[in-house]
Amino acid sequence: MTEFALAWKAMTASWAVPAAFFGVFWGIIGGALPGISPSIAMALLLPFTYSLDPITAVVLLASVYVGAEYGGSIPAILIRTPGTNSAAATVLDGFEMHRRGRGGEALGISLVSGLVGGLFGLALLALLTEPLARVALAFTPPAYFGLGILGLSVIASLTGRTLVKGLIAGVLGFMVATIGTDPVSGVSRFTFGSPDLLGGIRPILIMVGLFAVSELMAQVIEPPWAHADQRTARLKLPDWATWKRMFKPHAIGCVIGSIEGVTPGAGGTIAAFLSYNEARRWSKHPEEFGHGSIEGIAAPECANNVVTGTALVPLLGLGIPGSNSAAVLLGGFLIHGLTPGPMLFERSPEVVYGLYAGLFVANIAMLLLGLVILTPCLWLVNCPKPYLMAFILALIVYAMRGFGLPFLPMVLGVVLGFLVESNYRRSLVLSGGDHAIFVQDPIALGMLVCAAAMIAVSVSRELRASRRKTGEAAP
Amino acid sequence: MSRTRDIACGVLGLALASAYYAAADAIPKSLLADEVGADGVPKALALSLSLLSALLLLRAVRVRNAADDGETQQASALQHLRALGLVALGFAYIWATPHLGYLLGIALLISATALYYGSRPGLSLVLSASGGAVFLWAMFAKMLDVQMPAGIWAHLLG
Repeated sequence: MTEFALAWKAMTASWAVPAAFFGVFWGIIGGALPGISPSIAMALLLPFTYSLDPITAVVLLASVYVGAEYGGSIPAILIRTPGTNSAAATVLDGFEMHRRGRGGEALGISLVSGLVGGLFGLALLALLTEPLARVALAFTPPAYFGLGILGLSVIASLTGRTLVKGLIAGVLGFMVATIGTDPVSGVSRFTFGSPDLLGGIRPILIMVGLFAVSELMAQVIEPPWAHADQRTARLKLPDWATWKRMFKPHAIGCVIGSIEGVTPGAGGTIAAFLSYNEARRWSKHPEEFGHGSIEGIAAPECANNVVTGTALVPLLGLGIPGSNSAAVLLGGFLIHGLTPGPMLFERSPEVVYGLYAGLFVANIAMLLLGLVILTPCLWLVNCPKPYLMAFILALIVYAMRGFGLPFLPMVLGVVLGFLVESNYRRSLVLSGGDHAIFVQDPIALGMLVCAAAMIAVSVSRELRASRRKTGEAAP
Repeated sequence: MSRTRDIACGVLGLALASAYYAAADAIPKSLLADEVGADGVPKALALSLSLLSALLLLRAVRVRNAADDGETQQASALQHLRALGLVALGFAYIWATPHLGYLLGIALLISATALYYGSRPGLSLVLSASGGAVFLWAMFAKMLDVQMPAGIWAHLLG
């Protein structure tokens, strides 16, 4: 009960509640703007936390994180542009649902799935910080390599009957990820003398090009939205039947999001894609995925919001910031003379329990603010097509659509390329060039076996389909 | 799935793989390099791309596809040209904005894109363009403090 008393006192004796609401609001704006990552949205507020008391400051920053992770799904559903990396998986079914006039329903599913994920992640953070932090320590470079390969193996099942093209797109994405400074030797690669490319190309730029611009260009040659005025321009929260359908994808999202969240460096993107893939595998309606599936939105949205809680586990439990956002939050702690780690629970318990309570308020704020702002967002994208298209014009990648190459493998290649390469090479440095290190590490071995199994199933499916097709084409 | 499209994709893939391999081979060797080297993974990627492209080519050659009639191709090429017009607008915006300034540049981009998508010229277009430009400018330049080009206005207005 002492913990609850501390949390209650922290909430009532400070400005933490208004800070949580403002933080979520700011985070939603930042998350919804492609290019403003959750960590940038947090960093923009960091200077203002100097004058705040410690509890209000950390609650404000953590709430921005919660809001930003959710906010990324809004443009993903409405304009096919993920606001954050982790919202890329939501595009698949969210935008399809919106295109079919069910945008309000898609936003409702995303909102409640985010709430379920956020609260589940918070519960894990509050109850299991210490044991979960040990999981983070178990991850060695070979295990990270295995994790990256497992993430990339999703390509095989995402692309279905176009496996070869999916793999080509994945390789292209990986190639983009090699641009910049080499992670081991520091040599510049494929920068062609441009200092702007030394840091590589940010994944969000690729996503804006892949999703948004190609969609804009495709819309030029498609007829106007004749039924725009008949669309459901209101947010629709899930009914009981939808909740029942979301139970399984939520469970999948919670499990995967928890594991990925506590693993430093893994983040919400891998969690979202793996959850999407598993939700499809376990669904009774796998044929609906990619065509506006309820489960296809619920699983990734739940997973990437679980990460908002569990990503703080290594920070609070060990003092290790596992992501850029956690690093900014670490800055917020340090500004006020607080050092995250096991001793924080002894020295400043009111800050820790205040943060937990603040995250709870932030998740409720996300629901309330979502209810208020989503209907206007729907109205905005249902306004006449020429104006909408005019507002979202940005960059170029259209050729891929022309060649029928799927986008998601490329996104996975870009996002996971660095993780895979750097940990592959670090592992070999550790082992003196011996590849056996990848089978000696049990976590790495488990992940590589899972990845191989996923690829094998997809390849056999592709081969069967190809044989059937050749048989039909034969005279 | 179009056979011609797959053949083109395969050929382009092979060309890209060759160019990428050559660029990877030109990466300078560092004294700090590990066993794999800075060029190791890129070269493996280039080989993977060439293998996959060759596989796609082979498959496209083997599978007959009846959907490749000339009329479809011609219509499709025209549609692609129209879509590429949007890219031209993007390039024009990037070229003109440093001279015109962000506010005017973005207003013109909104107007031009709306017209390209079939909107009729009129007061609503002007209001949308100017309102949108002010909103984006306030959001990026004022709220998020992102440096945007001032253009000729910086000289004219001092």
